[in-house]
Amino acid sequence: MRKFSAPEQQTISSFASGLSAAILLIVLMSLVLFIVLKGSAYFWPSQVFKVTTYDTPNSEVSVFVPSSVNIDEFNQALSDKLDAQFSNSALPMPLIVVEKVDAVYQISLNLGAIQYGKFQQVNTPNSERYQLAELNDVVADVAIFQNQLHDIQTNYLTVLHRKIALLNQSGVGEEAPARLKELEQFTYWQQKAEALRHKLASYNLIFIDAAGQPFDVLVKDIDHLFQPNVMSLFDKISYSGNKIIEFVSESPKQASTSGGVFPALFGTVLMVLLMAVIVAPFGAMAAIYLHEYAPNNMTTSVIRICVSNMAGVPSVVYGVFGLGFFVYTLGGSIDSLLFSDALPSPTFGTPGLFWAALTMALLTLPVVIVSTEEGLRRVPEGLRAGSYALGATKAETIWKTVLPFASPGIMTGVILAIARAAGEVAPLILVGAVKFAPSLPVDSEFPFLHLERQFMHLGVFIYDGAFHNQTNTQGSSMMFASCMLLLIIVFILNLFAIIVRNKLRDRYVRI
Amino acid sequence: MLKLFETETLSLDKLTDEQTAIKVKDFSVWLNNSLVLNKINMRIPKNKITAMIGQSGCGKSTLLSSFNRMNELNQKYAFSGEVELDGRDIYNKKENVAKLRTKVGMVFQRPNPFPMSIYENVCFGLRIQGKTERRMLDDIVETSLRNAALWDEVKGRLFDSALLLSGGQQQRLVIARALALKPEILLLDEPTSALDPLTTLHIEELINQLKKTTTVVIVTHNMQQAARVSDYSVFLHQGELIEYSDSDSLFTMPAKKQTEDYITGRYG
Repeated sequence: MRKFSAPEQQTISSFASGLSAAILLIVLMSLVLFIVLKGSAYFWPSQVFKVTTYDTPNSEVSVFVPSSVNIDEFNQALSDKLDAQFSNSALPMPLIVVEKVDAVYQISLNLGAIQYGKFQQVNTPNSERYQLAELNDVVADVAIFQNQLHDIQTNYLTVLHRKIALLNQSGVGEEAPARLKELEQFTYWQQKAEALRHKLASYNLIFIDAAGQPFDVLVKDIDHLFQPNVMSLFDKISYSGNKIIEFVSESPKQASTSGGVFPALFGTVLMVLLMAVIVAPFGAMAAIYLHEYAPNNMTTSVIRICVSNMAGVPSVVYGVFGLGFFVYTLGGSIDSLLFSDALPSPTFGTPGLFWAALTMALLTLPVVIVSTEEGLRRVPEGLRAGSYALGATKAETIWKTVLPFASPGIMTGVILAIARAAGEVAPLILVGAVKFAPSLPVDSEFPFLHLERQFMHLGVFIYDGAFHNQTNTQGSSMMFASCMLLLIIVFILNLFAIIVRNKLRDRYVRI
Repeated sequence: MLKLFETETLSLDKLTDEQTAIKVKDFSVWLNNSLVLNKINMRIPKNKITAMIGQSGCGKSTLLSSFNRMNELNQKYAFSGEVELDGRDIYNKKENVAKLRTKVGMVFQRPNPFPMSIYENVCFGLRIQGKTERRMLDDIVETSLRNAALWDEVKGRLFDSALLLSGGQQQRLVIARALALKPEILLLDEPTSALDPLTTLHIEELINQLKKTTTVVIVTHNMQQAARVSDYSVFLHQGELIEYSDSDSLFTMPAKKQTEDYITGRYG
């Protein structure tokens, strides 16, 4: 083999290392870019195409699909017929996308579309027919009726029902005048409600689908309605803005395929903060003991190695430990001691927010310990000596001079811990994060913070989203949107912690 | 040799207990199992300035930090003998070391202000003693900074970080910090070795002022400085006390050949 000369070696080594750095950069950039592109596509209204597949010239299947769908996959899901052909023509059709309250996407053709020559129509009880432009008036009417219906149900029907139930309990006879009066009232309001329901049912929109078949949607079921193919840029931007607000502020709908991720966002942040509150003091104390008090001998070294190795334990092992020890053993004991009247239904003996935070604290403990020790090691000897020379005891020296100086190190540990905990999924599934939680862990009910409740977590939400049908664009894209949100959250939390760390560094470590 | 202040010179052999600040009896120290100080016997006179000179590694810093038990921070530390302060052996088992160190202040070679405000630096020792009354703290901070000849330079920015001060100012701040506790004895471990000549002069003047109320022990590598500021000087060599007398005679007519070689610079 030929020997390389010194300058050649120089070139090769600089080229190789530069190449590695470049590849790394490209990988990182493409990761972020991919997530951001896919994620933001969820918010952008995609154009609607008509896709027609031909099996034989006589049997064709037409559907409307948004452009974000992967046409190949879509077709495979649509029909297993071989040799299908596609035409995704008819691009500028003013199609209407209706988002229903129960959030099944229905894509249909605007009846006023020229190609089909039929009218889109809004039916009302008076047999009046409206154009799309007048829909807002109809929607306002429907909202009034819906409010009336709700009012009758909660203020009259429920109340009367309760009264009648009371009469039943106290054994009032079938023919007693009091009872008859209530029943009469009840029937009256019931009829009124029925009339309203009937009225609401007759407000509907009629569409014609891709195959030319008409179908209708009740106006009261429409969440909102838009025409992506004829939207101006401004319309699209405002649509996206609304969608983003909905995404971060609302609960998921329709088995997590649409709506928002607010509970998951809230759960993630709350769990991470709770974990930071647990792990920061605990890790810092452990590090202080190891560095300041523990004798410099074999045992201490062994403990240190163990702590470092703890960082490498697979996270699911922590999850299993959390489930077995925290949830069943600790939680079970707490239940039998403090919440015995609620048994057999468990209070703390079931996966929940607190156990998740505790498990994650355990998982991130080594990181905090190691970086705190790093911070302590950087404290100049002169500082300690100065403190001792002024009559400070060891504890006073540690608390007043060493710890403030080491606080940037502790913050570094907390930053790493936060980033890790926000993205962790496996242990969380075992100890408290769920696909869907009916209530937030914080509400107006005493004691306001419900540590025993299960919670939603963005990581788990994404994991769950990955199992949704990939041809259903909304579910899949929501996963990407959640991914993007998770990235942003981790970024913000990190940024916050870095700012705090730099503030501390400016204050204490400028020597 | 020019003396800034004319002082009566006490004979070291005839020091009474009242005139003695520190009495060292047969004091030996081992660091990492090697002998650093070998049976030192000396009396340090009260309210005087005593300089310790000698080569690097001769044990003068070790002896200095034996006076407030700072040596103990070193893990492999062993000693024998006694160091007496006010007639009590400070190495007795019941000694409150933290309290001892408030009586025996110490200033190190490199200025080591705490990363807090100037005010808080001076208050540090007082706060540790549980003194929090604002007016009293204000008074003590001002007096200490005045005594350390720093007040005029920092009075407008007491609450700025101490780390923004220059090296000389930092060293005076560290002295003020020690003075705030009103120590009986002040130990200075090469306090000017990291400073420029003018600042050094400032600090030397300061040391001279201090001896009205405080016993000062100073370790220095600078012969001129030792001669300028000190009333008494002790020369150590390889853990042995070679010569101890008033500075005038030690620097003009040293009794031992070793001392003469060292102060005239003939040592290797």
